[in-house]
Amino acid sequence: MANSDWRSSRTVRCRRLILAAAALLLAAPHVRAADAPAKPQRIVSLNLCSDELVLRLADPHNIASVTWLSRDPKNSNVAELAARIPVNHGLAEEIIPLKPDLVIAGVYTARTAVAMLKRVGIPVAEIGVPMSLDDVRRQIREVAVLVRERDKGEAIIAQMDAGLASLPPASRSARPRAIVLNPNGVTVGKGTLVDEIMRRAGIANVAAELAIDNYGQIPLETVVANAVDVLILSASRDGPPALATEILRHPVLTALADRTRLVVLPGRLWNCGGPAVVEAIERLRRVADEVRGEAPAR
Amino acid sequence: MTQAAPVETPRPWLIPPYGLLVVGLSVLVVVLLGTSLAIGYVSLDLTQAIRDVLSGQSTLAALVLIELRVPRALLGGFVGFSLGISGAALQGLMRNPLAEPGIIGISGAAAFGAVSVFYFGLAGALLLALPLGGIAGAAAATFLLYALSGRGAGTMTLILAGVAINSFAGALTSLALNLSPNPYAVTEIVFWLLGSLADRSLPYVWLVLPLMALGWALLIGSGPALDGLTLGEDTAKSLGFDLGRLRFQLIAGAALAVGSAVAVTGAIGFVGLVVPHLLRPLVAHRPGRLLFVSGLGGAALTLAADIAVRALPIRPELKLGVVTAIIGAPFLFSLIYRLREEP
Amino acid sequence: MMEIEATNIAVRFGPTTLLEGVDLVMRPGEMLGLIGPNGSGKTTLLRILANLRAPEAGRVRYGGRTAAEVGARELARQIAYLAQGGTVHWPMRVEALIALGRLPHRRTFQGLDAADRDAIARAMMAADVVSLRGRTMGQVSGGERMRILLARALAVDAPMLLADEPIAALDPLHQLQVMELLRTTARHGRGVIVVLHDLALAARFCDRLILLAQGGILVEGAPARVLTDAHLARAYGVEVVRGERDGIPFLLPWKPSGTSQGAPP
Repeated sequence: MANSDWRSSRTVRCRRLILAAAALLLAAPHVRAADAPAKPQRIVSLNLCSDELVLRLADPHNIASVTWLSRDPKNSNVAELAARIPVNHGLAEEIIPLKPDLVIAGVYTARTAVAMLKRVGIPVAEIGVPMSLDDVRRQIREVAVLVRERDKGEAIIAQMDAGLASLPPASRSARPRAIVLNPNGVTVGKGTLVDEIMRRAGIANVAAELAIDNYGQIPLETVVANAVDVLILSASRDGPPALATEILRHPVLTALADRTRLVVLPGRLWNCGGPAVVEAIERLRRVADEVRGEAPAR
Repeated sequence: MTQAAPVETPRPWLIPPYGLLVVGLSVLVVVLLGTSLAIGYVSLDLTQAIRDVLSGQSTLAALVLIELRVPRALLGGFVGFSLGISGAALQGLMRNPLAEPGIIGISGAAAFGAVSVFYFGLAGALLLALPLGGIAGAAAATFLLYALSGRGAGTMTLILAGVAINSFAGALTSLALNLSPNPYAVTEIVFWLLGSLADRSLPYVWLVLPLMALGWALLIGSGPALDGLTLGEDTAKSLGFDLGRLRFQLIAGAALAVGSAVAVTGAIGFVGLVVPHLLRPLVAHRPGRLLFVSGLGGAALTLAADIAVRALPIRPELKLGVVTAIIGAPFLFSLIYRLREEP
Repeated sequence: MMEIEATNIAVRFGPTTLLEGVDLVMRPGEMLGLIGPNGSGKTTLLRILANLRAPEAGRVRYGGRTAAEVGARELARQIAYLAQGGTVHWPMRVEALIALGRLPHRRTFQGLDAADRDAIARAMMAADVVSLRGRTMGQVSGGERMRILLARALAVDAPMLLADEPIAALDPLHQLQVMELLRTTARHGRGVIVVLHDLALAARFCDRLILLAQGGILVEGAPARVLTDAHLARAYGVEVVRGERDGIPFLLPWKPSGTSQGAPP
């Protein structure tokens, strides 16, 4: 099946529905959940993070479709890999006609589509949100098993570990204090992947100190009053406007410029659990070094 | 043949002298402004912060005060003033106590105007475009309202026209947000429909203040004509008032005040309904005097609601329109109940 | 002193012509009654004279000048208008409502000065509403409201007073009082034009009458000249009985006349 164009006309959609119905009638008795010992050859991914893992691990010939989001270099680490793969928009009626033998989705995305796919007997695996580097490694292994590319998975993990090992040990003293600020004033607290990345980079996560668990909202007043050394913005402030991103351009943040370093880190580096997290740690380590270099001896 | 207004029989000794009322409300507004500055998400030594600001030291306390709390307090006062005075003016123009920017659709249309400008990048080139978009939306709605419901039209016609405009504007706003290039836009409809003062900055305040002030001036200047309108259009005209110019003045004034307010804070409802109604007996039902006093009352109500929103232990912060609706909707019920005998 | 002069006034609503070829001159010092059957155009003519409506043809001059030349504010000081029906939208205090009559004399936001207060006091006395001083408009009866609104019009202190059916809602006592008041106002040098339905009162109190019927002025002049049996039959289709008391003639509409309204006698 060619690219599904979400702007398709009604007749094309009707045709697809009819095809889907036909596919159900034909395919239902043959497909069983959690079966198929053979290598999956029509893999579909319904989630940006699973897109990345699937694109990195599986052979392009075996990938039937990934989400359209993975083609955007601003949000995706694997935009070039996705360029030649057909895209979907997370709709069941796009997926079913592809006759996938493996669908990988996130636990929070495309719920109705996933429910529908499960109902018609298509094997669906769901991967959660990684909360630590160990989670990341585990997820890479999990997807590698699903797509029958175990060796490739181990290779990626080995590369990640090598990258981490090559960093000098993080300084225990004089850790710069930082807050991550996302659109809508959301920050990352204790027990998240970002929190561990910051720790490994030698940066103290102030949100964790403020007992914010997981993702929480932090008022701008709190950001200002906590006298952070680094403010990490993980979204672009230029681009189409919305109130969510306006908060990242608030004049008070500019007014802090003389005492707080503003760092923009592309969210794609740590939004998903993939090898890109190592680059995030490296970049933050460099920022930490710069801050420590500028600061008077503590 | 008295129309629409429920017969109030205030006891004369409950009506304070006008000057005293103005001073009293002004003091209330100042106190609430101070309270708004003192309340927030971090404990701030207000006096120290003020001293820092005045001495030019940009300490963290001064930054929080000047960049975060002052804009919020000022905006609360100015937006509240605009909503209060517009409510009083619209009620005077339409000779109907249910006229209010939110109920009759002016705020909703202003939100659509602002959304169209903001999310499609037009405000990036010219920041002034944002309040102008809101004003254009508000003006279109007021105009349409006047055309649909005529002058001194019955309550039902007015409310129906308001419902139609609100529905239409709400749908268009939602559509615009859906079509916006930023993926966060879709979830922001709550802000535009309910309003909030959070995280607005000083540049926005200075941006809308001149426009609002112009609107206030137009509205206050129409005071004597509104007094004359008490006796009907013919008598008002015979007293020397140009009705066409009055209508234009009121429409333009309300559009400027409400449109620019909504562009920055979203549509905060019920302020323009509750405040004039509460204060009308205190000015002995004189529509001209009600204008300025409603402005002060609107500022007080909005500031009080904004203080409540931060004082309540609900996080994330409630939208301001939620609090004003919780106060205003029961009020509206009681008003409808009292008006149920009127045709 | 100003006079109102209307020349060749025509009033049309779409294809229908209500009035045509109406000429009228009114000077201060007399009381003019506009009478005629329902729908004859009395209120419309009065509104045209008060510059509240433009005629489809003809023009009105005030002391030789058009309304535009006089200016809205000056005209408001020269002509006081009392509308039909007595609409009051907000239950203001009685005194504040009467004070609205001083609006043409005050600048925006200027308060009342001594002359204003004096005019208001005189108006209240003349209309016999001084006792209602402390009340609001929601606390007065229909008749009281009419007198308050009349006081408002008197407070303007204008040389001309144009009143549209001012006695419609009043009891007999107050009807007589108001008509007496209007006549006194005219005697004191003002001009009063009043639209009336009550023929008896029109006959007794007005110096001059204009009878509107069948699209124009049927007849005008002193009441004795206007209120002949022939004219009344033609305009109203009624017969009257006449009498006299203290040397003053009066009449009462008695029964429908043989000839119907509008047909030639």
